[in-house]
Amino acid sequence: MVIRRHQVPATKKAFEDAGFPALTIQSVEGRGKQGGIGGWASEVDPELNSVMGSSNAEEPRFQWIPKRLLTIVVQDDQVQEAVDVIIKANQTGHMGDGKIFVCPLKEVVRVRTGEVGKDAVV
Amino acid sequence: MKMIRAIVRPDKTEVVSEALAEAGMPSLTKMHVFGRGRTKGIRIGDVVYDEFPKTLLLMVVEDEKLDEAISVILESAKTGTMGDGKVFVTEVEEAYTVSKGTKGL
Repeated sequence: MVIRRHQVPATKKAFEDAGFPALTIQSVEGRGKQGGIGGWASEVDPELNSVMGSSNAEEPRFQWIPKRLLTIVVQDDQVQEAVDVIIKANQTGHMGDGKIFVCPLKEVVRVRTGEVGKDAVV
Repeated sequence: MKMIRAIVRPDKTEVVSEALAEAGMPSLTKMHVFGRGRTKGIRIGDVVYDEFPKTLLLMVVEDEKLDEAISVILESAKTGTMGDGKVFVTEVEEAYTVSKGTKGL
């Protein structure tokens, strides 16, 4: 999932409480279908999105907004639960909250022991 | 839906993203990565460079947009020399928008 930077601690906490302690975090930049309006300022205060969209029309439209990309691996029957946890922890209701992509995963191997499949996921 | 991971030259990032935006696909995520390809790096004098800085562009598109997105990327990222990059396509089962809590792109 791609989320706001300052929501990472809250998301980590929510995952921990829900029993998904393992995750990978990457620092990325991106933009959505609005083309990155609002920029950095609205990342801190999402309310600015509604104001800045109209007043800063002459600002370059396509900019990169810093985000965090979190990757977590769950069992098939836990997908819905994990998605709900993410949405609950990250939803402010303003654009820029992020996206969740659910991708199939063929195989997991734990490097330390060589376990594969279900056993390799916590 | 399909996820496109395109590894391109860092200086082509803006060109590719502008081209995609013009084609009606402004949404993407980029990250800085290091890697090498089939040529195992290059050797200049005594120095061997085996990890090159690249940009990884990650985007998710609907199935019917896939071919268009790939051709836009291939066209705009091309210089014709080694190291132009690769495009990988993987399956995405579901997508959610956090702000609305709805399913779909």
